[in-house]
Amino acid sequence: MIATADSQRRWRRLFLIVGAIVAAYALLAPLTSLDAAQSANVPLLADKFWFRIATYVVMFVVMATAWNIIGGITGYAAFGNVAFFGIGAYTTGMLIAKAKWPFLVALPLAPILAALFAALVGLPLLRLRGHYFAVASLGVGVAVGELVQNIDYNGQPVFGGASGLFLPIYAVGHRGLFFFYLMCGAAAIAIAVTWWVLRSRFGYGLIAIRENEEAAAVLGVNTTAYKVGAFALAAALTGLAGGIFSQWNVFINQDNAFPIEYNVQMILMALLGGTGTVFGPAAGAVLLQLLIQFLGGSLPISIDLPFVSTEARPIVAQVILGLLLVVVVIFVPRGVIDFFGGRTRLSLSYLRRSLRDTSL
Amino acid sequence: MSTTAEPQLELRGVTKRFGGVGAVDGVTFQVERGEILGIIGPNGAGKTTLLNCISGVHRVDGGDIRWEGRSITGMAPHRVARLGIGRTFQIVRPFGSMTVRENAAVGALFGSSAARRGPKQAFEIADQVLELVGLKAKAGQPVSALTIPDRKRLEVARAVATRPQLLLLDEVMAGLNNVEIDEALEMVRAVHATGVTVLLIEHVMRVIVGICRRAIVLDFGHVLAEGEPEVVLRDERVIKAYLGERYAKRLRTERGQDSPS
Repeated sequence: MIATADSQRRWRRLFLIVGAIVAAYALLAPLTSLDAAQSANVPLLADKFWFRIATYVVMFVVMATAWNIIGGITGYAAFGNVAFFGIGAYTTGMLIAKAKWPFLVALPLAPILAALFAALVGLPLLRLRGHYFAVASLGVGVAVGELVQNIDYNGQPVFGGASGLFLPIYAVGHRGLFFFYLMCGAAAIAIAVTWWVLRSRFGYGLIAIRENEEAAAVLGVNTTAYKVGAFALAAALTGLAGGIFSQWNVFINQDNAFPIEYNVQMILMALLGGTGTVFGPAAGAVLLQLLIQFLGGSLPISIDLPFVSTEARPIVAQVILGLLLVVVVIFVPRGVIDFFGGRTRLSLSYLRRSLRDTSL
Repeated sequence: MSTTAEPQLELRGVTKRFGGVGAVDGVTFQVERGEILGIIGPNGAGKTTLLNCISGVHRVDGGDIRWEGRSITGMAPHRVARLGIGRTFQIVRPFGSMTVRENAAVGALFGSSAARRGPKQAFEIADQVLELVGLKAKAGQPVSALTIPDRKRLEVARAVATRPQLLLLDEVMAGLNNVEIDEALEMVRAVHATGVTVLLIEHVMRVIVGICRRAIVLDFGHVLAEGEPEVVLRDERVIKAYLGERYAKRLRTERGQDSPS
């Protein structure tokens, strides 16, 4: 017992050190693109391309971590969270493009509006449980995107319609760097919020709801308020990512603000990393987003997949992601975060045990 | 002074129907502060439904439920809990991903307005409650490691941690052996000794006779008899409800022969 506790502590420390080094590198490497670093002949670790991928990765860290609050901690499998991303994107987009608000003033309204919308639809939706909630939330996710594209007033599309919405470019030096760090800030907020939730009365109430909603209610948990609160919190964080995205990308339309595949991806990331944990969804987001980019052939390091033509790569990537989802759900039900910190080791017996636990 | 004369909990003609069936049909009784009241009755008599009505899990179709003189009819479960009415479930419903200690702490984090502490204090209360029900040694274990009797203890611990004034216990002794029942009785007495009124649904007659001063018999959603347990259990209507008409007749003739008249 003492030996395992000791080795657990050792593993935990090792994990933290390695994690801190990797995070520090990922956060500091972009700085070598600054003029000062370039004139000092610091070896360049980053180019424009790197920023794009890195910012996408961090954006998914925010979304997967946010999904974890409603899907992982509260146990309500929301399949339509992309609606909040889109609402956030269009809130900032409209305020900047049409109302000419400055970006940093418009940005806080993205999470606020997304949270308000979540509270509104959450009240009826969160009365549903299990598959019913999942399907209904997916419906909302799709419907909001269609509405945004198709709402007209006096024959004019209100939100830019099918041609989308163009934003003025945000005047800031080192734009790529700026938006990368801004997205990192959003990720830090999302992770900090999760950390706080899991230690608070609110979090214990949410976990109680996940484990047994009726038992939670008779112990005094206001289940409706808590579920709506968790949904709105997840929406706010997802909306924040959307708000940053719209100014970063300068152009938004239904395709890039409401992509249906994001719904599945953020859930897959949380599952892969470990639902209900603080860092699991973030770890899952990094792993999976890098894999998606790699399979799509857009990483600097890339190998030719055998028997696959360049055109077919995105399709093959989708197939591989689907297979991965199946394998993860069956064999790593608690996520890869289980292997870090020395709790368990990846072994044949672990996979066999998981298979037994997850099969009927 | 009038408040002290008032019953703690009062049911007036409480009715709950499922489809056409009146699971609870016009039930009227009172619970006095500080007593241990037993509710017995055959399967399907409406005992659990009655508990669900009181705790707000079911919305009643008729009648009035009053807590300290104020109507709580139609109140949501969490608001009933906050007033100081705690309950357990017949089929235990632990929070599986939490430890024993965390399960109890949820009761103290939420619960009645007397509870509702911050996490640190809630865990202190959880430790006290686990000691009271005899689960202290297993506080750090996951729920999955607990035996059935221990899970029933945990169900009680969680409800007690909400600091209730009235505790509704739904068959906490069902499925326990004789030794375990004795231990569970000890636990209920210990909880009662802390000043909690107890309303106990039970199948095991020995429990009712051993611990209750007063019992209510429910049958087909109606109150069949009310009074001291020993008296109630000899009531012919009660015997009929449990064992059928023929057995009741046989018992009547046997008793007739026994008596010297």
